[in-house]
Amino acid sequence: MSEGPAIGRDEWVARADEIIERHRLLGLADRVPGWARLLAFVVAVAAIPLITDDGYVNSVVFDTLVFCLLALGLNVAVGWGGLLDLGYIAFFGFGAYTYAILSSDKFGLHLTSPLVLVIVLVLGALLGFLVGLPSWRLVGDYLAIVTLFAYQIFISVVTNGHDLFGVDLTGGVNGISNLDPFDVFGFELPVSHRGIFNSNYVYVALVLFVAVFGALHLINHSRIGRAWRALREDTLAAELMGMPTDWLKLLAFAFGASVAAMTGSLFASLKIGVFPETFSLTLLITVYAMLILGGVGSQTGAVLGAVVVYVFLEALRNADVSGWVFYLAVVLALLYLLRPRWMVGVVLAATVAFGFVAHAVAGAIDESWTAGAPPDAGAVTRALDVWVAIPASPGDAKPVAYVVLIALLLVSTVVTGVWRYALLVPTLYLAAFVWETVLAPQPDVTRFALLGALLVGIMITRPWGILGERRVEIV
Amino acid sequence: MDYDKLFQTVVNSATLGSTYALIALGYTMVYGILKLLNFAHGDVFMIGAYVGLGVLTAAGGPLDPSFSPWLVLVLMALAAMAACALLGVSIERFAYRPLRDAPRITPLISALGVSFFLSNSAQLLFGAEHRTYDTFNIAGGKLYEPAVTLGSFSISWLRVITVVSAIVLMVVLWYLVTRTRIGKAMRATAIDRDAAAMMGIDIDRVIMFAFLLAGGLAGAAGVLFALRTDLFPQMGFTPGLFAFTAAVIGGIGSIPGAMLGGYLLGTVEALTVTYVTVWVGLPVGLSNFVIFSLLIVFMLFRPQGILGRPEIRKV
Amino acid sequence: MSDRPLLELRGVSMAFGGLRCLDGLDLHVGEGEIVSVIGPNGAGKTTLFNLITGVYEPTGGDILFEGRSIKGLPPHRITQLGIARTFQTLRLFLNMSVRENVMAAAYGHTKAGVFRSMLRTPGMRREEKEIRELAEKRLAFFGDRLVGYRWDQPAYSLSYANRRRLEIARATATNPKLLLLDEPAAGMNPVETREITELIAKLREEGGYTILVIEHDMHVVEGISDRVVALDHGVKIAEGSFEEVATDPRVIEAYLGARAVERT
Repeated sequence: MSEGPAIGRDEWVARADEIIERHRLLGLADRVPGWARLLAFVVAVAAIPLITDDGYVNSVVFDTLVFCLLALGLNVAVGWGGLLDLGYIAFFGFGAYTYAILSSDKFGLHLTSPLVLVIVLVLGALLGFLVGLPSWRLVGDYLAIVTLFAYQIFISVVTNGHDLFGVDLTGGVNGISNLDPFDVFGFELPVSHRGIFNSNYVYVALVLFVAVFGALHLINHSRIGRAWRALREDTLAAELMGMPTDWLKLLAFAFGASVAAMTGSLFASLKIGVFPETFSLTLLITVYAMLILGGVGSQTGAVLGAVVVYVFLEALRNADVSGWVFYLAVVLALLYLLRPRWMVGVVLAATVAFGFVAHAVAGAIDESWTAGAPPDAGAVTRALDVWVAIPASPGDAKPVAYVVLIALLLVSTVVTGVWRYALLVPTLYLAAFVWETVLAPQPDVTRFALLGALLVGIMITRPWGILGERRVEIV
Repeated sequence: MDYDKLFQTVVNSATLGSTYALIALGYTMVYGILKLLNFAHGDVFMIGAYVGLGVLTAAGGPLDPSFSPWLVLVLMALAAMAACALLGVSIERFAYRPLRDAPRITPLISALGVSFFLSNSAQLLFGAEHRTYDTFNIAGGKLYEPAVTLGSFSISWLRVITVVSAIVLMVVLWYLVTRTRIGKAMRATAIDRDAAAMMGIDIDRVIMFAFLLAGGLAGAAGVLFALRTDLFPQMGFTPGLFAFTAAVIGGIGSIPGAMLGGYLLGTVEALTVTYVTVWVGLPVGLSNFVIFSLLIVFMLFRPQGILGRPEIRKV
Repeated sequence: MSDRPLLELRGVSMAFGGLRCLDGLDLHVGEGEIVSVIGPNGAGKTTLFNLITGVYEPTGGDILFEGRSIKGLPPHRITQLGIARTFQTLRLFLNMSVRENVMAAAYGHTKAGVFRSMLRTPGMRREEKEIRELAEKRLAFFGDRLVGYRWDQPAYSLSYANRRRLEIARATATNPKLLLLDEPAAGMNPVETREITELIAKLREEGGYTILVIEHDMHVVEGISDRVVALDHGVKIAEGSFEEVATDPRVIEAYLGARAVERT
């Protein structure tokens, strides 16, 4: 074989270490065929309701599956089609509202759930076509903003849908209540079973999950999937290679929309009612964070991202667990960032020492400066109380500490050498203070603030996510 | 024809438009240079409103300001402008600069993350409940008294202040961008970043300057806006979206375009709320439906905006 | 060569705003011919390709392919009728594998739709196998330059010359009758340029394609062309054999300026 020119191979060779590393880390996942990974996931999920009948655990499993479905659907337009769709949650809401209209006392319609799912599948696809139409003329951020408008229109319609030319369609801000539970041709699935979450819903969600995952996998490994990816890489070149790009874009939107709408119906079947504020931007950002963390373009990544992010968000809800999660995450981050590893111990010891001094000084100046402790103190908090100075009424100290902490964190990413270590000690101390006074008492807000920060962090350090392939783009 | 209603609509358009124009300028400057839709800009605006509230509270609150109420208003605006300029520059430094050569979707997602982080942080620190400047009580209600009276029509001080300060800020901006060295460098960078860099322009400084100006204007807009409405952590979203659209309507990247687009969008919103929904027979709550539908149609047929030029597809 | 040309342009004009890029251009390419288009930068050569492939619609005149007007058809329809092209500024699907790049181009002449793809019907599986074989055949055409181990690498890992080859392979996977090559030898070293010259001849002999090529390298043009067309400022200034065109005073003037002509 003649030795060809090696210009372009440099890049490939230069990345060899990274590729080998990746395969070492994910070697097992890569060597196991796709269907086996899916089977392992399905078996693991299916086993949970058998192991425990804890209603909370099972409802978390159900919600996780809902988010897996949402992330899978989003992956079609964003990951494969390269179309930035910020109206995605509108499809989810559309599915939920359609279920509520077709299967509740609202209009006296009580259709069986499989039929609703089929109707929603078709209507969702049509809605996807409609919302996808602007993609013929607009790309990138322009498309993103127009889909965001479409989402605003959806919210505007459902919020004011109690009086659409005299017809009450959506119940306005009060939403639609008293939805029928999921039923299969008369065989009803009560939402709760003797006051506990009915774990059969996990199986319903699992069936839908497998169907969607399989269908999307098969379509991705066909000429349509290839054409989607070609369109993402270079729309004009795809068009000139004989691919009807306009149609393919609509198809990508329709697929995503159908999946989201069906998921919405499934979600609604379990809830007491549907309300406009459920379908918030928060939900959109959460699903995006899941897909991006897992790896845009990878189905396994979408599922992994959904599981990790949802479990993380749930863990932050519980005051006792969230403390552990937070401090564990801090230590893990230090272990990841500091070399040699024993520096972690030094820094932590220095922080605690700094803490005791600060606690003593603050206490000496004014008793009330160290008198406070968060109301529902967990085990971690009690351990910290001796060295983190928590005033009886933090008041104005809170915003100041929060802003200073963020400033310190940001500055510590740019300074180098000994300054970094010097900064770490007060930063960590302040982090503990802010966690105890600001973050831990408001878990519902904290978890989303952290999610936003996480999104920025992923974009800067690893935009291709955990399982995504690093991509090259000529800007 | 109800002339009073029409007159009020015109005044409303000018007030709304002033705020939108100030925010839109920030979008357009950043987009012009970085080709980045800075989603976090609306939240910078929100932070500006809260900084204003902080100054007002520190000065003793609306009922009993220790200083002259006019001085307090000026201080509120200046503090908000300074804080937001700093915030804007930090966001650029830490969330966008590392991604400058990344695929375009990457900084966009990062911007979404910053936006989400800011609005949730505001909720952490200031709570989810709606706050207000309690403008009725500032200077004993003086702001709601008519400043200008034309026959049977009158315009309140509040609206005069909003429109006049917006215009003053825009004139200052105009001067900075067209008459100063860094302003000229900014325009050169907007046209061709690489070429500007090769001509010896410090791109980092120029981008920082753009974020500084954008943040300052957003801070002022936040205070002006919050004089008339409630403050809450998500208050930046809808005005931000409208203002971005205003920038697009005017022709993104174009500074006069952003001003024009801002006032145009203010007019469309005021007209829709007062008239269009009535004509079509829709409930008033659906005015957003009408506005966003119009915006989609506009974006489809003239994405380059009024003052922009269409791009020729290059092969 | 049949009497009816495969591609025929009749008085084609193109203007962007007030700027005229092509002005009343007549051009024909007969079946099995290799025609080269030459001309200085900005002469309208790439615009010509963009008009033929439907990226732009001409502001005047008509374009006929196999006797049928293709003016106003969307680009993918034109490709499906049998015109494929490469790009001067390489436009590969960079993050897809080499093989997938070629397989994707088979879209226009394959059929399996959404439902058949999700159900994996026997017909769909057969078609998928055919697409794969077609792609491998098209890649094998380039011999050891694009050998098997490269097929699963992403396209961005290829060298510049190999990217040009992959572009040609991808274009041929659309099963075209007419192949438009936009500067196939640009950026190649002399050895590779010689290879490309032989390759273009081989494309006609073995693939049976009719070829319209834009090229700056006069050695390549000399080596491959049955006929040469010279453009300048959107107007055809000369047409004929390589020798005729290369010695035409207007062509020399267009390339080298008026004074150069006086001196010769």
